[in-house]
Amino acid sequence: MAGKVLVVTSGKGGVGKTTTAANIGAGLALLGRKVCLIDADIGLRNLDVVLGLENRIVYDLTDVVEGNCRVRQALIKDKRTENLYLLPAAQTKEKDAVAPEQMKALCDELREDFDYIIVDCPAGIERGFKNAIAGADDAVIVTTPEVAAVRDADRIIGLLEAAELYEPRLIINRLRPQMVKKGDMMGIEDIIEILAIGLLGVVPDDENIIVSTNRGEPVVMDRKSKAGQAYFNIVRRIEGVDVPFLSLEEEGFITRLKRVLLGHS
Amino acid sequence: MARNYVAFKGTKHGLVLWLDPQAEFNEILEQLREKLSSTRDFWQGVTVILKRSQREYRPEEKRRLEEIMGEFGMALKEEPEQMAKSEKAQLEEPREIDRDSALIVRRTLRSGQSVHYPGSVVILGDVNPGAEVIAGGDIIVLGALRGVAHAGALGEEGAVVVAFRLQPTQLRIAHFISRAPDDADLPEPQGPEMAQVRNNLITIQSYSV
Repeated sequence: MAGKVLVVTSGKGGVGKTTTAANIGAGLALLGRKVCLIDADIGLRNLDVVLGLENRIVYDLTDVVEGNCRVRQALIKDKRTENLYLLPAAQTKEKDAVAPEQMKALCDELREDFDYIIVDCPAGIERGFKNAIAGADDAVIVTTPEVAAVRDADRIIGLLEAAELYEPRLIINRLRPQMVKKGDMMGIEDIIEILAIGLLGVVPDDENIIVSTNRGEPVVMDRKSKAGQAYFNIVRRIEGVDVPFLSLEEEGFITRLKRVLLGHS
Repeated sequence: MARNYVAFKGTKHGLVLWLDPQAEFNEILEQLREKLSSTRDFWQGVTVILKRSQREYRPEEKRRLEEIMGEFGMALKEEPEQMAKSEKAQLEEPREIDRDSALIVRRTLRSGQSVHYPGSVVILGDVNPGAEVIAGGDIIVLGALRGVAHAGALGEEGAVVVAFRLQPTQLRIAHFISRAPDDADLPEPQGPEMAQVRNNLITIQSYSV
């Protein structure tokens, strides 16, 4: 088995990299894929908290790289989903505790046992970023509809090209259709026009994310929420299924009534 | 001399220089000079290993240490990486711990901060989630313990963890590990509690004198 290494990155902080990595990982595991999530954000780890696995950590990424333990000992099995494992980052170390070559070797080792290895990249473009992309086959870029986030995403695309990752795909996170409609927020087309890369999905702004993140349960498990659906669609697109994009427009009462009564949309 | 900031300890790797991580550097130098002067001839030609992990020394500080050592015909070398590592490996095999010494930490440990000490550790503050305390002896937190605590890390199963509010992410005593159950809404601790190993399990009970 030769698994695929996917890095989730953004440049800017706070746009939802960790949440996206957790949901893609959990979603792929729900589809029966064997998934390993790697938290590459050494010193500011979060992925364990988002997955509710913080209290299980004994060994971490740096222990593996330094040879204090074997990979198997450091992998934490998710408590809800079969097939999902986490390799946590160290909290008390710094980014330079790991070198890009070591990261690459680790990814290659994990490839043997997993279908997907999802790497959660830290914010920034320094050592942590270089570590995170070192072993990657493919990149997913997360941005929000804000000028600063899109600017940083553009920078990241350039850096990925330099690292020979030529076809990153884009996730637009926290979109608010009402604001786009009023012209107060960048729309999907505006962002695509600037970045000119393939769109993997659009995740609407959803309060459920805050609840699920604090609870340590990825929202993709809750198919009733809009964000959960969006992430599930993203996961299926990663798997190569052609899934149409969600309609993000809130259906008004009148349109819904028309649809029900007249049978058209 | 109020406290001993400087100590030499014989190990299988050689003579190790231990410096109190909390002491003023100038006081350390003063004590070091005093100690060495009292037994001047003894030190001639000795190489001493400077212990890491306790505290990072700036190049400037290292230079001044080396200067003093030089005055007494001694040489100073850095602790080899391997030694710091083998200390971790020793978690497996029980070793005598230093019952008499305790490190007093007068602050709150925040996420990412850690304290490692071969004796016992007393924290006058909180230990937040993401912070860790690893001690050869007991761990006493005069505040809330919400992070990771590892008492008896050198193998001492009789070590205890005491905290005003004992709500750790994870508790370890010697080679035992435990954590709170997943879905239970645990009641908030009412007052100080103590964790210790009983019948091969880490148990928690309220602590009263």
